[in-house]
Amino acid sequence: MIGLILRRLAQIPVVLLVIYTVTFALSWALPGSAVLNDEGRAPPAAVIDAIEKQYSLDDPIRCYKQYLVRVTGIHWLSNRISGSSTTPTDVREYIFDFGPSFRFEDWSVNEIIASSLPVSVALGLSAIAIALGIGLSAGVIGAVRPNSWIDFATLAVALVGISLPSFVTGTLLLILGPVWAGVGTVGAWGTLGNMLLPAFTLSLPFAAYIARLTRMGMIEALSADYIRTARAKGVGPTTVVLKHALKNAFLPVLSYLGPAAAYAMTGSFVIETVFNIPGIGQHFVDAVRAKDLFLIMGVTLVFASILVFFNLAVDLLYRFVDPRIEQ
Amino acid sequence: MRPVLAILAILVAITFAVLAFDRPLPRAELNLINGTEFITLDPQRMTYAHDIRLNYAIYETLTRWNTYSDFEIIPGLAQEWSVSDDALEYTFKLDPNGRWSNGSPVLAEHFVYSWRRALYPDTAADYSNLFFVIEGAEDFFHWRARQLDEYTALTDDEKIARFPDIAETPGLGRNERLARAAQALRQESIDHFNNTVGIRALDDHTLQVRLERPTAYFLDLCAFAVFAPCYPPLVERFASLETSTGRIQQAYDWTKPPLLITNGPYVPTDWQFKRGMFLERNPYFRIPDFAKSATIRIVPINDPNTGVLAFQTGLADFHTDVRVDYIADMLAQKEQGLNDYAQAISTFGTYYWNFNCREFLNDGRRNPLHDPRVRRAFAMTVDKRAIMMVATRAGEKSASVFIPPGSIPGFNSPEGLPYDIERARREFNDAGWFIGDDGLARNAQGDLFPTVRMLYSTGSYNGAVALALGQMWREHLGVRTEFDAKETKAYRADLQRQNFMLARGGWFGDYGDPTTFLSLHRTGDGNNNSAHSDPYFDDLLTQADNERDPEKRMRILEEAERYTMEETLPILTIFHYNWYFLYKSPEDAQGRPNPGGLRGMSSHPRNVQYLWLLEVVRQEELDAHLAAEAAR
Repeated sequence: MIGLILRRLAQIPVVLLVIYTVTFALSWALPGSAVLNDEGRAPPAAVIDAIEKQYSLDDPIRCYKQYLVRVTGIHWLSNRISGSSTTPTDVREYIFDFGPSFRFEDWSVNEIIASSLPVSVALGLSAIAIALGIGLSAGVIGAVRPNSWIDFATLAVALVGISLPSFVTGTLLLILGPVWAGVGTVGAWGTLGNMLLPAFTLSLPFAAYIARLTRMGMIEALSADYIRTARAKGVGPTTVVLKHALKNAFLPVLSYLGPAAAYAMTGSFVIETVFNIPGIGQHFVDAVRAKDLFLIMGVTLVFASILVFFNLAVDLLYRFVDPRIEQ
Repeated sequence: MRPVLAILAILVAITFAVLAFDRPLPRAELNLINGTEFITLDPQRMTYAHDIRLNYAIYETLTRWNTYSDFEIIPGLAQEWSVSDDALEYTFKLDPNGRWSNGSPVLAEHFVYSWRRALYPDTAADYSNLFFVIEGAEDFFHWRARQLDEYTALTDDEKIARFPDIAETPGLGRNERLARAAQALRQESIDHFNNTVGIRALDDHTLQVRLERPTAYFLDLCAFAVFAPCYPPLVERFASLETSTGRIQQAYDWTKPPLLITNGPYVPTDWQFKRGMFLERNPYFRIPDFAKSATIRIVPINDPNTGVLAFQTGLADFHTDVRVDYIADMLAQKEQGLNDYAQAISTFGTYYWNFNCREFLNDGRRNPLHDPRVRRAFAMTVDKRAIMMVATRAGEKSASVFIPPGSIPGFNSPEGLPYDIERARREFNDAGWFIGDDGLARNAQGDLFPTVRMLYSTGSYNGAVALALGQMWREHLGVRTEFDAKETKAYRADLQRQNFMLARGGWFGDYGDPTTFLSLHRTGDGNNNSAHSDPYFDDLLTQADNERDPEKRMRILEEAERYTMEETLPILTIFHYNWYFLYKSPEDAQGRPNPGGLRGMSSHPRNVQYLWLLEVVRQEELDAHLAAEAAR
């Protein structure tokens, strides 16, 4: 077990370096200039020149190396050791320094990630929590009474949840809730109430998928021999379903939860836009549009790290929940 | 069941932990929605319209405009000023009561510092060229760029040796010597600035500026956002010198509250990225209660549709930047009395298409649009009213000239070219192009008119306009077009390399003088995307630069615009932009106060809205009005 963890941990830097290199090459190849603003005013050429020199944007190889040294913390470490840093004492320094954003000129990429990642994490995780609640109960009900009206109803809702894009469900919910019913607010963030609608919207496709996974697993489990045994020795129906059957039926859901959580935490560009949420998802799209090189690198590397660690965590958790995997 | 509950509990706990860190901004007396997050609060580096609007609320410039009349210059921080007889030397007397938001006085040397900052290429101020009207400023800008380049090229030893004092001081480490050399280099640039650039603080409250040549609009420039001062002790705390290049490296922690110190009517007390900003009255502002509303909250909403919904559900009193494509319908509904908040004002900007004026295209082919007769023929076959029906449909004024007529006092706009298909065909024939039996244009050798590549950025109505233009030229001139739609960044890259035959363009004026538009077509100007180059036009602008009589100067500039809009035609103007707001009128149809309405908006095309002039009509005002009516 420990050997496995170490092996997996050793792979992580290699994976991240490959991602760093590929992302850097692709973002560098984007057309246009990162430092020219879109307002349409061209500053004197020397101004552009000065910014490009400051961040080595005139030389991809030098920029690649310099930036790598900064994001890995080597720059910070060597500054500590040599004591040659000229950074004023009031300026905040980061160990993993993702550099400045070219579009949001007053903010560093570290600040942007620090302000937006927790929002997306909270939104994504609460969406997963809602999806688990809805999906598991719908799945269990569907399995206990297969082909009943309630089974078809959950199937219908699941289909809608998966097929309708979230900019449709999101806008629809905004109009139904705040605009027509006067419940909730549009465009505000910071309270639990503000989070309900977007989290619910985000949860729908996940809930639908979990419901179908659970239903499938439950139907299979309920017809298994050990369930018949449990019933035969007089275990009540609730215990049979929730304790004995669900335990096995939950395994496929669990393995789905890892990537789903990672996806929910970062893939909410549309929902962030529709509900005006200050999350990280929008930067994946907007930064590329603006060729905001360091912001692209920053969010990609952070997302990649999260994904890598989540996969590792789920793998380990899986072994813990299902001892059969040990070999 | 237990693992499920455990997972749920963990998820919910994390969610609550995160929410506990977000502090939603409270409602203010005046609540705004902006279309995007602010880019920068550093006055010298501002470019975007919403940054500049904020600038006027939190900083105070030497002069400002009377936005309710003809935009005449009125005193700002400078109570009075005098101009020398040769119109070159301006002496400003600053209000001694001027205060920063930490209570310290605003000094003339703060302006020297801020304007010098704008002239350092290190600062990377997009608007640094506006300062080039000041004596020696442009030379200094290039001198500093050269100084840095030369310094960077030196080895570490040479850098130290460049300053004998530092090289010879005993007992210093190598890093220490390099750091001191960079400091000495900076001092050298400051000395050079003081010796060559015409900006001087005569005493604490007297600022003297000497210009390169008489500049009729200099006081107008002084009212512009990038001429506002920043607080030097604060900025310096976050500036450092890069030893390998000598460049000033500026960190921007200082633009965020509670660190930020400003000298305007308001000071930001909270700024949360992508969540919003909160402004309160600057307690030390030289005129107490100058700002009408005590507090302002500004929430950025990127999605145009969400912004409108947020306004409709009461998140804000004023939406400053409406970009939904159904704005035309909202305005029509307002006419029918179905809403009371859709607002449009015409602005100081023009939508147009650039002609590529170069003789050869980038692929080496001869460019037929190089001939002004062809450009004029293209322009005169465009029915701009029909274009307006496919563009915004929101009632913009169609444009036959570049500078929006009536926006600059004393400047009379020329006629521009008419919509005249007969004349267009004549000009087209004169240029050597004839429409054949198959309806296609050919020259005398029988070569087809090259297919015109039309470059535009995706989104918005550019594609629809391109299609309409293409149809008109196909029908009236037998010219075929093809479309080249690109993302903004790629579009802009092509635009600057003249990688197009026609390209969509737009321009908003910065200051109240025709040159803010006309200089675009000067040979070699950085924004001259059509690559227009005409000696007569350049000569007119130079004449205007040197003309001391303002009346005569305006006549020269009128001729310059007439010449480009009726003869050389570097651009095909389509319409003058409107700006769209959402806010309720301050009075209802009966002239009573309208609670929730917004009072104090300027309707002048220059579209400067000083936030400190705005206030929301209160319920009590209506109550008082009704009580007075009842008493009568």
